[in-house]
Amino acid sequence: MSLLGVLNIAGSGMTAQSERLSAVASNIANADTSVTSTGQPYRAREVVFQAVSLGSGDGDDGASAGSEGVKVAGVVESNAPLRSVYDPSSSFADANGYVQMPNVNAVDEMVNMLSAQQDYQADLEAFNVAKTLALRTLSI
Amino acid sequence: MTTAIDTGLGFYQQVMALRGYRQEVLSSDIANASTPGFKAVDLDFAQALKQATGGSPAADGPARVWLVDDPRQMQSAGGSGDAAGVAAAAVKYQVGTEVTLDGNSVDLDQEKTEAAANAVDYEAAATFASQSIKMLTIAINGSASQSSGGS
Repeated sequence: MSLLGVLNIAGSGMTAQSERLSAVASNIANADTSVTSTGQPYRAREVVFQAVSLGSGDGDDGASAGSEGVKVAGVVESNAPLRSVYDPSSSFADANGYVQMPNVNAVDEMVNMLSAQQDYQADLEAFNVAKTLALRTLSI
Repeated sequence: MTTAIDTGLGFYQQVMALRGYRQEVLSSDIANASTPGFKAVDLDFAQALKQATGGSPAADGPARVWLVDDPRQMQSAGGSGDAAGVAAAAVKYQVGTEVTLDGNSVDLDQEKTEAAANAVDYEAAATFASQSIKMLTIAINGSASQSSGGS
């Protein structure tokens, strides 16, 4: 049923956006983490979205043909160069006294966060509208 | 079997199902507002309704059930195997919207406006259907006194 399909699609959008938001939070929290469990500096992470058909074809729980939900296809690490900070007193400094710091760009992260928030709100709005319409249909 | 009651209410049934389908298509655009390469789509409501109510000679007779998720339902919907395709064929790519660098063509503000307008249209159809049923009830009972509890 179409309106229940909206709930599924908007739900998939909200799930994806919150994963994006958690990647942003992880990046901001680790903006100064010079050593991770792998021994390397932290690298900024980004989620990759992919449109996906939700129709399962075996009932009315999926979405109709022609409309797609969204899923997180994977998480990629940024290839941006790491920051080099001159700090000879650090125990992680190399021979020249430089410490490799994460490639997290605070401005990028803020923009990403705002965008994720906006998209999440739009999904929530679509979800609520579908809920209202479904309830309205019950009262015919 | 088509009765007079069926004909009157069947139209609203199709309008509401199509409006619901369009709501789904629009929410799909909204959910994919940040998906790289995603192209915004929309349901051509006028065309879909015309096809659904048999205004187009493309379908063999009025396509009565044209929006089903289950292939088994499609079989019982008058023989033609791709009943769902009737409405899905009216889903078209939106043109004229700005395409971002990652290939996404969803305009979030426009989608939200369209979805809100579509929801109002859905409610309108629901109200009309509701009123039609009330009118039929009045006709059957012979007076409007049923709901008001008598005069």
